[in-house]
Amino acid sequence: MKFFAYLRSLASALFHRSHVEAEMDEELSAHIQIRADDLERCGLPRPEAERRARIEFGGVERFKEEVRDTRWETGLENFFRDFQYALRNLCKDRRFSLIAILALALGIGACTIVFSVVYSALFDALPYKYFSRSVDVKLHNLESGRDSKDRTYFSTEEVRAFREQNHIFEDVIVFQGFRPAYDNGHFVRNFPFGMLVTANTFDYLGVPPLLGRTISQEDGSPNAPPVFVMNYRFWQREFDGDPKILNTSFTLNGIPTTLVGIMPVQFNAFGSNFWQPFRQDQIRGALMGRLKPGVSVQVAAADLDAIAHRLQKPNPGGIFPEDKFSILPETLLDSLIGNFKKTLYALLAAVLLLLLIACSNVANLFLARATARQREIAVRATLGATRGRLIRQLLVESFAVALAAAATGCVLAYFGLKVVVAMIPAGTLPEETVIRMNAPVLLLSLGMTMLTTILCGLAPALHALQGELQPRLASSGKGTGGSFRHGKLRAALVVSEVALSIVLLTGAGLLMRSFFVLTRVDLGFDPKNVVYFQLNLSPSYFFKWGDAASTKNSLEKKNALTRQLLARMQAVPGVTSVSELNNPPPLASEASDTIIPGKPHDQRWETTIDECSEGYFQTLGLPLLRGRFLSEDDMSAARHVAVVNETFARRYFPNEDAIGHKVKFGNLDLRFVETPHDIYFEIVGIVGDFKTRDYGNPSWQTVPQAFMPYSVAGYSWRSFMARSTVDPNLLLKTFTRELRALDPSVEIAESGTLESALHKFYRGPQFELVTLASFAGIGLVLVLIGVFSVMAYTVALRTHEIGVRMTLGAQQTNILRIVILNGLRLVAAGILIGLFVSFGVTRLLASEITGVSATDPLTFAAVALIVVVVGLAACLFPARRATRIDPLVALRYE
Amino acid sequence: MTAQAQLLPGTLDLLILKAVSLGPLHGYGVLLRIEQISGGALLVEQGALYPALFRLVRQGLLKASWGTSDNNRRAKFYELTSAGRKRLRQEADGWNRLAAAIASALDTRPEEV
Repeated sequence: MKFFAYLRSLASALFHRSHVEAEMDEELSAHIQIRADDLERCGLPRPEAERRARIEFGGVERFKEEVRDTRWETGLENFFRDFQYALRNLCKDRRFSLIAILALALGIGACTIVFSVVYSALFDALPYKYFSRSVDVKLHNLESGRDSKDRTYFSTEEVRAFREQNHIFEDVIVFQGFRPAYDNGHFVRNFPFGMLVTANTFDYLGVPPLLGRTISQEDGSPNAPPVFVMNYRFWQREFDGDPKILNTSFTLNGIPTTLVGIMPVQFNAFGSNFWQPFRQDQIRGALMGRLKPGVSVQVAAADLDAIAHRLQKPNPGGIFPEDKFSILPETLLDSLIGNFKKTLYALLAAVLLLLLIACSNVANLFLARATARQREIAVRATLGATRGRLIRQLLVESFAVALAAAATGCVLAYFGLKVVVAMIPAGTLPEETVIRMNAPVLLLSLGMTMLTTILCGLAPALHALQGELQPRLASSGKGTGGSFRHGKLRAALVVSEVALSIVLLTGAGLLMRSFFVLTRVDLGFDPKNVVYFQLNLSPSYFFKWGDAASTKNSLEKKNALTRQLLARMQAVPGVTSVSELNNPPPLASEASDTIIPGKPHDQRWETTIDECSEGYFQTLGLPLLRGRFLSEDDMSAARHVAVVNETFARRYFPNEDAIGHKVKFGNLDLRFVETPHDIYFEIVGIVGDFKTRDYGNPSWQTVPQAFMPYSVAGYSWRSFMARSTVDPNLLLKTFTRELRALDPSVEIAESGTLESALHKFYRGPQFELVTLASFAGIGLVLVLIGVFSVMAYTVALRTHEIGVRMTLGAQQTNILRIVILNGLRLVAAGILIGLFVSFGVTRLLASEITGVSATDPLTFAAVALIVVVVGLAACLFPARRATRIDPLVALRYE
Repeated sequence: MTAQAQLLPGTLDLLILKAVSLGPLHGYGVLLRIEQISGGALLVEQGALYPALFRLVRQGLLKASWGTSDNNRRAKFYELTSAGRKRLRQEADGWNRLAAAIASALDTRPEEV
């Protein structure tokens, strides 16, 4: 009842406001009339009676206001009225509003961009069901020493044990990469990389197919007809997106297999081109499980570890053959994003600093305005505005600015995000991740708007209301001394702004220095105009395990192809030199155990080994230091000779000549059946070092290297490179044509220029550098605005004083010095604090930078210098205005 | 002239409820009634009355309707709702208990302690 009455009165109050007001007027005037009637009855004449009644009642408007205050809808009304008032005010002071909105929009926009990336990468990265609970399982080998490797591949028994005995997974899937031979009716070639998966995989991932159906539980049963499901990109690339291929049969490894479904473009599980169910008795490979709700990764690790160790004890060398190991599950997201997370956190920190700078900037502008409006505020307070009401009014003003800034910021973010996404290095995020602005991020931005409103508006509002009102009313509009305390707060804001920007700038500066160290490093080889490509050999080049004749045959076939291809490449116009190799530099090849007769050693000696042809050294431009290069004869005769690099010679033969010594590489015996075993290579030459690195390792390394003729080892892993005098990209097409003429079943798997391969290493640091540097740049602009506005305001406040000084004989240079010194004092304080904070904070960046220390004095000095220059520039304009003050006008300036 | 007492905070609502409980009244009438029933000891500031009346209407303790006063003027009349009557009873009980307690406390003589 009461509630409805309340609602009714609320509704009528809101919708018939004028009606309510009129009723109130009528009621109060009736009151006065009745009182006047009484007084008249006592003998007063009517006009006098009415006058008395009115006096007795007091200020009608004040009581009406009090009555209004008993209703909350008045609050809403007041808010709208304040908002209108604020808008009018802001429109009047257009320069102030634009600067404030721009500053905040930069802060909010940058935040929205980074939030979008963080949200999309960490919370919305994958389209799969409950992906945040999915974990990969890794076996970490604790044994140090030769050939100890972590693995994510588990045998049939291991997989069965984990699947059957765990207490932590809701569901487990297993998958294993494979490359079937595809018979297209003309010749047999390799299908691209695909996956054998357990039949529950598609159910586990929970993504519906684009066409047809996914693999179901029945497809996993032993007698089910063989089927497979295709990835969208593979379908588009190789079959032009033709839907008619659905439900047709493909001969894979000699077995007719039906294509039953095509997955949508977003679905890209395990980076595979297609998926096929395991045969029930052959389930092995990588393991992924969905944790039961509430189970932590640590609990999962303990459970899986216990299972593995229970099985290992009775079967040494069998199931779980490692001696000492631990099982380490890792969340799917961590394993996919891993390192990029750190970058994201760094960006998040940077962007929040930026927002803080923007906020202190705008707070400063508001403070200056509030001080200039002291008289207005004092008048309002005297006329009966309560403190709360005034604070609300000032907050509404900053809210209006924040709202406009948020809208502008979101537009900036919309476009900025496209730029940032384009800059994110390929491979840092899973292919499924789509970065875009979305509802949660926009909500967050709205929250930020509220926050900035309070940050920017509250301090100035509280400040404006402090102290006595009377002196402000009495003083002239532009008070002279009264703003001492406000001056202090303003100074503090400028100092903190400068300090924050110093932190941002040193971060960006260190990344920049590190980037230059990274890119300007003398690699020791010349990557210009060199193109490389990798072959995807067809099944006809493969050999049967344990069949010596087949192995030998395979080796000869591969070597023949290599020889012919090199000859054809060499004949292409514009090509100066060509070579076969394992991995395009600077990617490090596999490190091998190194055995040198007569040189026993305790520690493992490691050498990265490369099988190459005679053109390798010329193509990379490696200098010969001693001895000779590999020759064409070494290739054709498959001689057991090797060329080593300087580091190899210096490390393993410190006091003697390495040439003529013999060396054996353990890896050739260990892993590869296609290589002849137990060979000692004679060292015939020493070449200059070049720098190598891995994808996971950010620093350049110089390691011992050895180069042997490709014809000795018959690896299936064949890459080629060519140096040319023309644009090397043009050569790739020609090379592809030559290859097709030699053998149409062989394809080029991966190709590019050495320079572009090199750039892959730079793209991660480049992304960090560019984003952080842009933020630092924006921060610097904000500082410029901040210092400028405060100095301009100070000059305006001190016009009178400056006038007096000039009348008393102060020169323009004196005035200039006073103003500039004043500004620089603030900037200097900010720089000192900022450098001090940076000194502590940049350590957090240490893992991201190479080649410079996290407290590099040069960077710190450069940053300080930049900020001094910017501060000086910001002071100069107001200072020059101060010198142009006409003393006569200034003295009359009341 | 009787000595006038300061209104304790919170008592205005109670007095208004009491005044209105004796019969529907317009705003000025409420003032007169309070003056009358307190024997002239309690004076309510005229303007303070209306915010209180509005508050009580909002709380659903009073309801207002337009009517005609004794001297034929259109005025808003207030009367008690059932919720208002209940509240008056509670407040009055509470007030009486408090008054009795204070009175007995003030009457205490040293030998009674």
